[in-house]
Amino acid sequence: MANMGDIVICRCEEVTYGQLQATAEKHNCTARELKLRTRAGMGFCGGRTCRPSLDRILESVTPAIAPGEIPLKYQPPIRPVTFGTVGENL
Amino acid sequence: MSDVIVIGGGPAGLAGAIACAKSGLNVSVVDEFIKPGGRLLGQLHREPSGEWWNGIKESERLHQEARKLSVDIRCGVSVYNLEKENQLWNVYTNQGTLTAPFVLVATGAAEYPIPLPGWTLPGVMSIGAAQVMTNVHRVQVGKKGVIIGANILAFAILNELQLAGITVDRIVLPERNQISQTAGEPEEVMKSLLNAAHLAPSPFLRFGSRFMRRDWIRKVGLNFYPKNGVKINGTPLQLRKAAVEIIGKDHVEGVRLADIDANGTIIAGSETIYEADFVCIAGGLYPLAELTAIAGCPFQYIPELGGHVPHHSETMETPLKGLFVAGNITGIESGKIAMAQGTTAGLSIAKHAGKGAGTIDEQLQQALKNVRTVRRHAAIQFNPEIDSGRSRMNQLWEDLYATSIEQ
Ligand SMILES: Cc1cc2nc3c(=O)[nH]c(=O)nc-3n(C[C@H](O)[C@H](O)[C@H](O)COP(=O)(O)OP(=O)(O)OC[C@H]3O[C@@H](n4cnc5c(N)ncnc54)[C@H](O)[C@@H]3O)c2cc1C
Ligand code: FES
Repeated sequence: MANMGDIVICRCEEVTYGQLQATAEKHNCTARELKLRTRAGMGFCGGRTCRPSLDRILESVTPAIAPGEIPLKYQPPIRPVTFGTVGENL
Repeated sequence: MSDVIVIGGGPAGLAGAIACAKSGLNVSVVDEFIKPGGRLLGQLHREPSGEWWNGIKESERLHQEARKLSVDIRCGVSVYNLEKENQLWNVYTNQGTLTAPFVLVATGAAEYPIPLPGWTLPGVMSIGAAQVMTNVHRVQVGKKGVIIGANILAFAILNELQLAGITVDRIVLPERNQISQTAGEPEEVMKSLLNAAHLAPSPFLRFGSRFMRRDWIRKVGLNFYPKNGVKINGTPLQLRKAAVEIIGKDHVEGVRLADIDANGTIIAGSETIYEADFVCIAGGLYPLAELTAIAGCPFQYIPELGGHVPHHSETMETPLKGLFVAGNITGIESGKIAMAQGTTAGLSIAKHAGKGAGTIDEQLQQALKNVRTVRRHAAIQFNPEIDSGRSRMNQLWEDLYATSIEQ
């Protein structure tokens, strides 16, 4: 496969497969660190689109994820909301 | 304040709300779509009995029944957080916070993506988006399309596109890679299609199912697999072709396909571009369980159920007090099963709320029996190993929670 590295994995944040691989290799990342460094999974859709792909990429980066664990933790808010909406609930 | 908040107004959520309301509970349903029905709204297919399954009609029936029982249904409301405080659940939405002692999460499923070069071009969509555009919004998705990914969902929606008079030029596999995995291996795809062969849309596969159970016969079968594919209602299913790139400048103009061997390896020099103005990506479904995750529910990865699912009992309770689940969030199955599970969850909530004096256990047993019956007769089965996936979760529940609750 010639251009696997150019494939966009996270569409919201435009993160490619190549960027994820390179970041993981360079920093020897945990799942969370890879997310924070690249912003993959942190976009408008809340990761609903790219999470399954990220999980599969993470399998090779951080091996041996227990079947009882979710590779990338979920964080609220899981839908885009205005600061005003969140503020009311504080 | 309601007694129960149902998150998700699909078949599971609506059936759950109806069962709760019938037992005398005060119920609110919130859903982020513009109308209730969930994924039912897009469904249109013929059952083996010859009867049509019209999801829009089913949704309307459920909606009417819920309204007659005074269920409060709010559409266009997104839940972004779920949290317990002082024995009550706080359901945070873009339109304020709702509070109740019981919550039923019935948020359904989302689609697996298949990333490939060009998949961000306008005109590329998930197969589910094509279904919603066609059957819910009545928008023509394009004139001539290609479906990437061969699975039951793709076939069901292919049929719906054909009914709407839209030409699907062919169904091909994704290129095999770390992300597409077995969805890019003809032999594995063939195996999964044969397992669901009673539903298979083509005589080749139906015939093959009896014949090709054995590995070596399947390999031979794939070698003889017609190069142009077998036709499904006029659309060729090409298991020996993989999509390597979607082409286009500002919009989809075509798809570059390559021939592949039985394992999905590309045969060098076999690439050809086929014209198309839309592309549907059919990666399959996974349980949309975000809200139960942030609520703190433990999870288990069970591939037969579609991925990570929240721990739950057969009667749809989670380990978190007052939190229940139903429908595709617990495993990918058809709409009718989601409905049966919803009823079970509703009765289960009624039982925990002390309703249904005397008869509730019997009603619950009846509902459980109904789930199994509906499952046995399901016209669409997304995973052939669904029973073993369900048993695993039941066993896990027995091991982890059942005894401690009884004590
Ligand atoms: C694209 C697609 C196509 C399908 N096609 C078929 C088919 O042809 N035949 C078949 O039998 N099954 C099909 N299914 C399976 C389908 O999921 C079940 O048939 C059934 O609809 C599941 O019911 P449910 O109630 O669990 O979830 P759904 O019907 O998916 O309903 C879930 C509801 O929850 C709402 N929701 C989700 N998250 C939130 C939130 N945070 N806040 C507020 N609301 C929320 C959604 O808007 C949705 O209305 C399909 C599924 C998908 C995803
Ligand atoms: S695709 Fe990655 S966050 Fe939306």
